[in-house]
Amino acid sequence: MACHERMEDDSGKYERIVHKNGSSYHYLKISLEFEEDTSIRLNSAQFKQLIISSLKQLFGEIGAALPFDVLQFEENTLSAVLRVYNRDLVKVWSALTLLGSYQSEMCAFRVQQVSPFLLALCGNSRT
Amino acid sequence: MYMHLEQCPRHLLVCEKSNFTNEKSRHGIHVQSHYFNYQVNMLIPECAVLPSELNALVNSFEKYYLVKNVPVYELVEQQFIDRFVKKGSVYALSYNTQIDQDNTVALLPTGTLILSVDKDTYEELGLEGKSSQYSHKAVMRYVITVDLKSLVPGTAKNKRVMWALKEKLLVKCDFLIMWNSPGDEDFSLSTHFEKYQCKEHAPAVSTKVLRDLPYPVIQSCDLRGNPEKSCDASEFMEWLGAVTSEIECNNEASNFLSTFCCPEPSSVMEKAYLCTVTGFLLPENICKLLEQLCHYFDEPKFAQWTSLTVHGFADSPVSWGSAEHGFHKGGENFYNFVVFKNRDYWLQMAVGSHDGCPP
Amino acid sequence: MQSTGGHPKYLLCEISFASPNGWQHVEEKKLHRSILEAIQKAHGDFGVACCAVSFAVKYLNTYTGILLLRCRKAHYRLLWSTLAFIHQLGKKETCAITCIHVGGTIRTCQKFLIGYNRQQLLRKLPTCKSEAERTALQEAVRSCTLQEDVVSASEEDSN
Repeated sequence: MACHERMEDDSGKYERIVHKNGSSYHYLKISLEFEEDTSIRLNSAQFKQLIISSLKQLFGEIGAALPFDVLQFEENTLSAVLRVYNRDLVKVWSALTLLGSYQSEMCAFRVQQVSPFLLALCGNSRT
Repeated sequence: MYMHLEQCPRHLLVCEKSNFTNEKSRHGIHVQSHYFNYQVNMLIPECAVLPSELNALVNSFEKYYLVKNVPVYELVEQQFIDRFVKKGSVYALSYNTQIDQDNTVALLPTGTLILSVDKDTYEELGLEGKSSQYSHKAVMRYVITVDLKSLVPGTAKNKRVMWALKEKLLVKCDFLIMWNSPGDEDFSLSTHFEKYQCKEHAPAVSTKVLRDLPYPVIQSCDLRGNPEKSCDASEFMEWLGAVTSEIECNNEASNFLSTFCCPEPSSVMEKAYLCTVTGFLLPENICKLLEQLCHYFDEPKFAQWTSLTVHGFADSPVSWGSAEHGFHKGGENFYNFVVFKNRDYWLQMAVGSHDGCPP
Repeated sequence: MQSTGGHPKYLLCEISFASPNGWQHVEEKKLHRSILEAIQKAHGDFGVACCAVSFAVKYLNTYTGILLLRCRKAHYRLLWSTLAFIHQLGKKETCAITCIHVGGTIRTCQKFLIGYNRQQLLRKLPTCKSEAERTALQEAVRSCTLQEDVVSASEEDSN
């Protein structure tokens, strides 16, 4: 995965490594929006459970078992940062997209940013 | 089982290690050639108050203008070229235009005007361009490059460019624009763009002091890490991302929500200073900041390293130099310097799928 | 590379029930429905949509417990993995489905099945109690051939 070149004339001081697809994770910045003003409050565990249930609906029990992390969750804005394995990105993303309701209230997930680098999430010029 | 679902777009991370005193070190070139910078994050461990020199630099980032609804031919106008492009360097980038769907325009300080346009606009304009590197079988995006400095008034080419942008199809955008002039200024951008809505903006600075932060141990000589002694550059970068986004790094393996942890071996820093500057930032300012960050270690400090992250605009048509940049799942193009006590540095440059390998 | 999914795959399976009268309620339609339900449970909407295109119960033998399923080649793994999770058919008898062969055509499955049945008969041979039983079994083993194969084999001999 990584190729490596070394400039010998710099007495080994200069080193360059190129990682292609080096990160095994993708990070998603998402938020949950309800269609109407609602009194529904979600805590972080309920939020993760909601994502798991949407995975279960689309990909069944086997899909619901895929591991992912909710790195950050803000209760006020219902926004979160998820970490998923590269191989699960498409599945999680599609499950989020197809979720339509929570406790029979219409809602939708907005995927604001997707990146293989966690560092990229704090500097998004597209908002 | 679902092979076709398990693919994801490629991404590249280039890690470099060198020393600032090294003659061949290219850190300056890397910073200078990354023209459009959106955000700078500076992390200084074991520091609660920013040294005055750094503080002055952080607050002295050049102001920029946001000009609304400017026709692109204004940038090709001879008066504009003579007044600004040929005297100093102009940075201009269309604002709120998404490079995967809208027409995007950028003027590089080298005097190159780049128009990244969709197929319809390209065909209507009738200017010579190249198909985008990152298009599918059916080309939907073209890149037109015009060198303003070599544009001679009165020639057929000049006339054609003007005619295409002025009469054939009036391309209008909001522009973020900045002029880095060499000295005395006869004109200013605000007076030049008087007839348009032109507003001056200052980069936003926000600071934070973080307490009791676990951090990965790194060694300047060991870019690829050592299982027991130090972490590698990409692990460090992930941790840095967690810190700047304020993500909890202290999770148990059995936690339902998250199992994210600080990479091992790790230690805990008492405090750290995090400073963020957001706006349309000049590479020259970032260069100065980086230089000053090296001088941070002139006096003895507790910190072993400091870091400087620079994010590019996701919708800029170029990333480094004139390398084409696009937006696929994300438009990330950023770099991160880790400055060590002994003047060694690590440079990590990362791009997404619609980008060439960083220089 | 992913295949286009135009070609079918055939899964030859064997159902075994916990109790001998489990076969009473088994029929193709019910089986079809309960397998789809199992796919829904294991692989969700996506799995059902993938499999539903050409999924069919092609053959069911309630005497031998042999079942032949057809599925798109691109998605047969979804069906295959689901079979392991089926332990009841229509909420009645406890059962288990084991896949014994995956073939590209019905014919390869048939060939395999003959070989498989023959092997099963041979296994029974040492447990025979009387001579008559033994000869009957041996006769059965000998008859385990595809009819066409007999013809083509004899043709080859004459040539």
